[in-house]
Amino acid sequence: MLPLRPVCGGIWRAAVHTVRMSRGAPPYRLLSSTCDGAPAALADADTIFALSSGHGRCGVAVVRVSGPASATALRCMAGFTQRLPPPRTALLRSITDPRSTEVLDRGLVLWFPAPRSFSGEDSVEFHIHGGPAVVTAVLQALGSVPGLRPAEAGEFTRRAFQAGKLGLTEVEGLGDLIHAETEAQRRQALRQMSGELGRLYQDWSDRLKRCLAHVEAFIDFSEDELIEDGVLNRVDVSVSDLQAEIERHLKDERRGERLRSGVQVVIAGATNAGKSSLLNKLCQRPAAIVSPIAGTTRDVVETALDLGGFPVLLSDTAGLRDSSDLVEREGVRRARERVEQADLTLVVVDSAHLPSEVDRAAAFLREHLRSVLPDTDRCLLVLNKADLLPEKQRQKLDTELRGVSGLPAVRLISCQTNEGLKAFLTVLHSSVKTLCGDPLFGAPTLTQARHRAHLQRCAAALAQYQRYRDTDLALAAEGVRLAVTSLGRITGRVGAEEILDIIFKDFCIGK
Amino acid sequence: MLRKKLPFLHSLLSPVSRHVGNLTGHQYDVIVVGGGHAGTEAAAAAARVGAETLLITQKIHTIGALSCNPSLGGVGKGQLVKEVDALDGLCGRAGDWAGIHFSILNRRKGPAVWGPRAQLDRQRYRDFIQSELLSTPRLTVVEGSVEELLVTEPNPEEPGHHRVTGIRLANGSHAISARSVVLTTGTFLSGSLFMGQTTSPGGRIGDAPSSAGLSHTLRERLGLRTGRLRTGTPPRIVKDSVDLSLAKLHLPDSHPTPFSFLNTHTHCKPEEQLPCYLTFTTPGVERVVRESLQLNCHIQQDTKGPRYCPSIESRVLRFPGRSHQVWLEPEGVTSDLLYPQGLSMTMPPDIQLRLIREIPPMRRAEIHTPGYGVQYDFVCPTQLSPALQVKSTQGLFLAGQINGTTGYEEAAAQGLWAGANAARSALSMPTVTLSRTESYIGVLIDDLVSRGVTEPYRMFTSRAEFRTSLRPDNADLRLTPKGFEEVGCVSSVRYQESLRVRNSLQDALTALQALFLSTSRWKKKLPSVPISETKSTLLTGLDLLQYNDVTFEMLASAFPESLSSFMEFAQRLKIEAVYKPHCDLNKKEIERIQREENMSLPQDIDYFSLPVSLSDEVREILDRVRPSTLGAATRLEGITPAAVVNLLNYVRVTEKKKETHRNQRQQEAQR
Repeated sequence: MLPLRPVCGGIWRAAVHTVRMSRGAPPYRLLSSTCDGAPAALADADTIFALSSGHGRCGVAVVRVSGPASATALRCMAGFTQRLPPPRTALLRSITDPRSTEVLDRGLVLWFPAPRSFSGEDSVEFHIHGGPAVVTAVLQALGSVPGLRPAEAGEFTRRAFQAGKLGLTEVEGLGDLIHAETEAQRRQALRQMSGELGRLYQDWSDRLKRCLAHVEAFIDFSEDELIEDGVLNRVDVSVSDLQAEIERHLKDERRGERLRSGVQVVIAGATNAGKSSLLNKLCQRPAAIVSPIAGTTRDVVETALDLGGFPVLLSDTAGLRDSSDLVEREGVRRARERVEQADLTLVVVDSAHLPSEVDRAAAFLREHLRSVLPDTDRCLLVLNKADLLPEKQRQKLDTELRGVSGLPAVRLISCQTNEGLKAFLTVLHSSVKTLCGDPLFGAPTLTQARHRAHLQRCAAALAQYQRYRDTDLALAAEGVRLAVTSLGRITGRVGAEEILDIIFKDFCIGK
Repeated sequence: MLRKKLPFLHSLLSPVSRHVGNLTGHQYDVIVVGGGHAGTEAAAAAARVGAETLLITQKIHTIGALSCNPSLGGVGKGQLVKEVDALDGLCGRAGDWAGIHFSILNRRKGPAVWGPRAQLDRQRYRDFIQSELLSTPRLTVVEGSVEELLVTEPNPEEPGHHRVTGIRLANGSHAISARSVVLTTGTFLSGSLFMGQTTSPGGRIGDAPSSAGLSHTLRERLGLRTGRLRTGTPPRIVKDSVDLSLAKLHLPDSHPTPFSFLNTHTHCKPEEQLPCYLTFTTPGVERVVRESLQLNCHIQQDTKGPRYCPSIESRVLRFPGRSHQVWLEPEGVTSDLLYPQGLSMTMPPDIQLRLIREIPPMRRAEIHTPGYGVQYDFVCPTQLSPALQVKSTQGLFLAGQINGTTGYEEAAAQGLWAGANAARSALSMPTVTLSRTESYIGVLIDDLVSRGVTEPYRMFTSRAEFRTSLRPDNADLRLTPKGFEEVGCVSSVRYQESLRVRNSLQDALTALQALFLSTSRWKKKLPSVPISETKSTLLTGLDLLQYNDVTFEMLASAFPESLSSFMEFAQRLKIEAVYKPHCDLNKKEIERIQREENMSLPQDIDYFSLPVSLSDEVREILDRVRPSTLGAATRLEGITPAAVVNLLNYVRVTEKKKETHRNQRQQEAQR
């Protein structure tokens, strides 16, 4: 077993990081103070963690940890100071925050030493109470353990795959699973990035790219070209500004935007289809103004509600139509943006506009859906104003439109008479339940934790620039490269060509 | 050591060139077309690997000519020269022989980005390359112009796939057969020269244009996509007509550092080195450029030129109102010419003279040969495998400017690799690849074959992700053993030397780690070094060597019994110590990439019908680029993580099937 020793602040770190194993092979510690657990990229040697049970209200949440530092997590969060628990045995422990030693929860912990674990690596499971506060606290505590970082999309599965732990049939589903995960994360990231926070990250990313381009230009061209020393001095200022800003941001937890948690359900459709009426029906109070005038709703109206125990964030959007009104056009743009970010879209259609024949009605609806949505995987069709249809047609549509290929679930309702609402609510409830039961689905705390991890690496990498600035510019530049890569994991990858483009735009390289 | 065999040169030349007629019907393993930087390295490498090789060039006496600048190496390019040398190529040793002004660029910026560079004597460089080639066993050199590339009819089972069978010469339609052909045609493939308003066919001034037949075969017969690029060269100035007292003197390093790992010193003595001079453009230069634009058809055309080696015209047009650097470089010990680096231009000769006379040291300068522009065809390099073989034509290899690169070093690097692989292919050995995680050559080739080019491609250190590991000082450790053991292009002398170096460095690092002292004892041993006692109580010699102000010499004098035997490697050990923590951090990522690069994707996959879940967009990208490995696929823009996993799965399943199939056949055979 590895010997342990306390480090400042009560954090326990495994001996691999700090204690010499033998006289012959001392670990290199030059970088350990800043780059601990932050190698150049997301190598498999990292230890990852994630909430692997469903999000939303549930009795027990399972948090999984996988990788070489799993034992460290177990030691410093479940109080195993002497020896690790017997493998694959559930033990009831107090789970504590390694920074404050505050007890976060009492729950079950399980230790799965490699190779007999899901991922083939050392692995730990924490079974804790399912409330969001407890889950968030445990995830944040894990994030503070050296060597641990939040898992990327599909990472657990990928590791299991690489360790040969998945059978061929499971592997076939893997690509789709990763697709679903990246898709869920993409939507989550879009929500986070479309606001003030996104602009902040983008600004940092632009400034960092410029710093890198200028350092690279100085390295690759300054011997033959007119690239004056002043360039590097400007980079120095930029780098220390950026480092200070990022560190301030990391300290100031309140500055993060309010995280929109819950299933994002968006009501969309043409003007005057009754979208706001549906919102009001669902939240049982007049949250949105309803009028017979087309285009009444011009901005997104948001309401949080509890749907049979699951958190839902319901948004009503402006009716989609071409408009010359500037305000309305902006409303339509926002509506489309919101649909893009939605987990589930309720497409509302005025039944009175439907052709009377079923075939033509189906074709009409397919066409309509295409104009509203990029794909029909995550939507329900709501045919409103059913009370305006003759009884016979209503029944025909209700029975025959179900199961028509190319259409999602269809429900006929009337917000006026409440007809069909109950049946619709049942469908909506089961869709939301499915989404919440999916562990991939929008855990904003995880997104936030991932952002934090990348930002911390970014700041640490900038410190490397300053440490080597005067002695070895190649190693200093390595710091800026690392910072760009870390931030790029939030804002998007940055390629060598992009950096060269900035170089050639900013300098006359004549040789 | 530098081998002096130049006197034999001329006695060797004539018999070789006389034998052209006898070559008809002769079967070679490898034919190399072109005698520039790519062609010479390709021919030499192919012969080293063991292939009977024929080098065909228009004129033997222009083999190894420096068509443009009289210099070798630099930042990024110097790394390539060191790597070519580590693989036993020619250009490093030629540079050491011909260099007349050596300097390490970026000396103050860290050893990973040091740029070994030398000004060269053109004549000496050519002499060295020619004597080296003409004394290489298994290599024949012949003068001639290639009219046609001979290929088989397309394989009926694989439409569009050919196999190379040889070449046909222009004069007298000689056909010479070979298993592999390496084309290194430089700027000669449909090349045209531009000066002022006149254009003429050709690839270099003073040389005959190459035949249109080759270009035709590549495009029409083999269906290869080609593009057009441009480059240019400055006028050569008569040295005596320049007032060098008006320019800034630029001295070489007082101790020249050789390029080659085999050389301990350069041919040129330190005190015999020649200086360079630096001067600047004036507003008058910009005026002349603007006034003569309508007389300059090269500049008016929008063929892609390099952003980093632009003509003086594009420099002043893109960044007006500035003073631009001009380097005046010697062309050789006995040459009476100067090379004005940065003044590449294509205007009419009389205006070229007006322009240079706007620059103070050249007020009364005379032009010896005017500058000119060249436009030429290149083959889109995404059609090549990482062995630089044309994917659709078995046995056809391309290297140098024909692949869209610029620069002697880039050409040499590709030439060596294409030549070695052409030989391996001809001798029925599997082709080999270099990873971008282990060399700049790997970065260069991977960039070319997986991303293609939109402008002439030049190496920069910023292109290498693992720059701190791919240093000029350790190119031998990275490549020489592989070159001997896996490629066969390295002589056993060099291999043994690299093993000696590797073992010594290893022993020295072990010895350093074995010095395990308390900080207070270190302070006594090295009183001048500020060692913080709060840090840790015990430090090794390797820890100490990472300190800025600690040199290996200091440690060796403190512990002579364990360290003094490694003095030869003092500088390399210092660099190893400083970079080791960073390289260790890179290691995991490097291993991941290498794992992915080891999973090859079959070249004949029909991506559109592949029974795995891929979007149409991804299928299109994969079909267009046809990456050779999973690693190359992951680096393509637009390839999603899900697509990579599905591909990975496909590769594993097909490999497993193949293996089962092989086993079955073996079992059947045993029965």
